[in-house]
Amino acid sequence: MEHSKKYASIAITAICVMLGIIIGVQLNTVKKNGLSTEQERLSDLTQRLQSLEEEKSALEDKISEQEKQIQAYEEEEETDEMLQQSLQEARNFAGLTTAYGPGLMLTMTDGAIRGGDSNAYVIHAEDILAVINELWSAGAEAISINGERIVSTTAITCAGSIIHVNDVRVAAPFEILAIGDAAVMESALTFSGGVVDNLKPWGIQIEMKEQTALEIPAYRGTTSWNVASSGQNTNHSKEAEE
Amino acid sequence: MIAPVIGLCVGIFIGVFSQLTMPEAYSAYAAIGILACADSVLGGLVASMENRFDWRQFLAGFFGNGAVAVLLVFFGNRLNIALSTAAIVFYGSRIFNNFSRIRRFLLNKNEKKDMIE
Repeated sequence: MEHSKKYASIAITAICVMLGIIIGVQLNTVKKNGLSTEQERLSDLTQRLQSLEEEKSALEDKISEQEKQIQAYEEEEETDEMLQQSLQEARNFAGLTTAYGPGLMLTMTDGAIRGGDSNAYVIHAEDILAVINELWSAGAEAISINGERIVSTTAITCAGSIIHVNDVRVAAPFEILAIGDAAVMESALTFSGGVVDNLKPWGIQIEMKEQTALEIPAYRGTTSWNVASSGQNTNHSKEAEE
Repeated sequence: MIAPVIGLCVGIFIGVFSQLTMPEAYSAYAAIGILACADSVLGGLVASMENRFDWRQFLAGFFGNGAVAVLLVFFGNRLNIALSTAAIVFYGSRIFNNFSRIRRFLLNKNEKKDMIE
């Protein structure tokens, strides 16, 4: 009996050493990689998002700095007055300059939830698009949503409970500024069966105020093309040569 | 009784100071494996105390339990069920069970000694 007990002790000790080594290696691994739980991953992602947003704002600062520089160059050089003027016109049209003038100030607020699907009572990207569309068709010359200028490449998309305009997050209440003929724009929105009427059943309110002096900020995003090119269609000219 | 504890400590020392690590993907398997092996070590201790230790049984239990636990977790991951929870609960409760048997045995042993003296 004593004999077998000795063997037992030896075997268990040997296995314990092995188990210990595995535990040690595992401890090293956990220490090195950090806890691989989902929470750890969440905090990691949050941190990365934060650093990216910081980077983004730094880059935006850089853009505005360089735009100022461009402006300085343009003012410095004694270019043709006509050229200067057409450049300014193009920039105005593209929404790259701050626009001033009389117009309409709209405030869209979510409806009060009255039971049922709460999704139905909040403002969606499509509702804003409908309003913007009416404003353009009524002769608006410059429009902004919560300080985001609407330009030709602006996308208005839903992302959960918030809305992205120019990839910037905006939330209700939405303040839409439009420079143009206020009376025309107002009637374009409020005719019976129009946008305001359509949104009324959902409790979405659109308040309109005529303003004599509006200031609509310039577009702050990038303006460079990565894929498209202007001028001659190179494919087409090749075909012509052949 | 003391030798296995010392062996365990020595093993942990070797493991930690070797600075070896394993890929993160295997970390979850190793954790379950450790639990299963700890259970069979305790089981072996109980068996040796009760004088019914069989080294073949012990070794088969040690490696077999470890392998089954790892396989369970592996298939759990493939089938998208948290089978690792089942392994943790099972081996955890068995560890407590074995530990209570060891405790009872040690306490009883002392009592018997008292009675003899």
